Amino acid sequence: MKLGFAVLLVFVGGALGAIAREFLMLFVPTLSHRFPLDILVANVVASLLIGVSTARHNRKAITDGWHLMVTTGVMGGLSTFSSFAYATSVLMKASMASALVAAAYVLISLVMGYVAVIAGMKIGGHDH
Amino acid sequence: MLVGLGGGLGSALRWGIGRLVGEGYKGDFPLGTFLINVSGSLVIGYLSVLFNVDWDNRYGHGMVLNALVITGVLGGYTTFSSMQLDAARLAAQQRTHLAAIYLSLSVAAGLLAALAGAALASAQG
Repeated sequence: MKLGFAVLLVFVGGALGAIAREFLMLFVPTLSHRFPLDILVANVVASLLIGVSTARHNRKAITDGWHLMVTTGVMGGLSTFSSFAYATSVLMKASMASALVAAAYVLISLVMGYVAVIAGMKIGGHDH
Repeated sequence: MLVGLGGGLGSALRWGIGRLVGEGYKGDFPLGTFLINVSGSLVIGYLSVLFNVDWDNRYGHGMVLNALVITGVLGGYTTFSSMQLDAARLAAQQRTHLAAIYLSLSVAAGLLAALAGAALASAQG
């Protein structure tokens, strides 16, 4: 694969993923206590799907090009670490109560994201 | 549309940096994603204060810069799903300790970077 084409695939995938995340941010309500539910949903969904697409690619069910666009592009664009870290830092500084929300947010994100990747790889690892 | 443009640019940048780090470092620690996420966290902390982003009303001030740079470029550049995938891969190779260290270190360093970025922007007034 030519370098320019590979960059284009990642660019297009990343653009689609980021737009999907923007829609989640618009339509998923933020919970009381300012819990960032939208970013949690984006990160957990992307973790599930990155597991599926990686397992499909391992089984050679999708090509390298699709893998680059979907796994590196779309899932990387849909999920975000910077908003996750920044929202946590803002909550931590605000008050004692919101610092607890921040701790819960980090823990829930890490556990659900990890379980989602494992579940995605199981789903994608089956023969279809 | 701006989010898409930024997300595409950020993702391409992530891929490029990931490849560069992968060429220079051959260890087991997922260094590329780690460096990407920590540097992205530093920049988001800095720019959020600089752009005066009200985190409860992300669609208020400076919408264009917000959509393009923060939601788009930085969101596309950093990745949560690849981090979890890296961790799951390490765990599958019986490197559970390294996976746990990687996740905790990413969160701790990312958090500190976001705080440092915000403090830097505040100090500049």
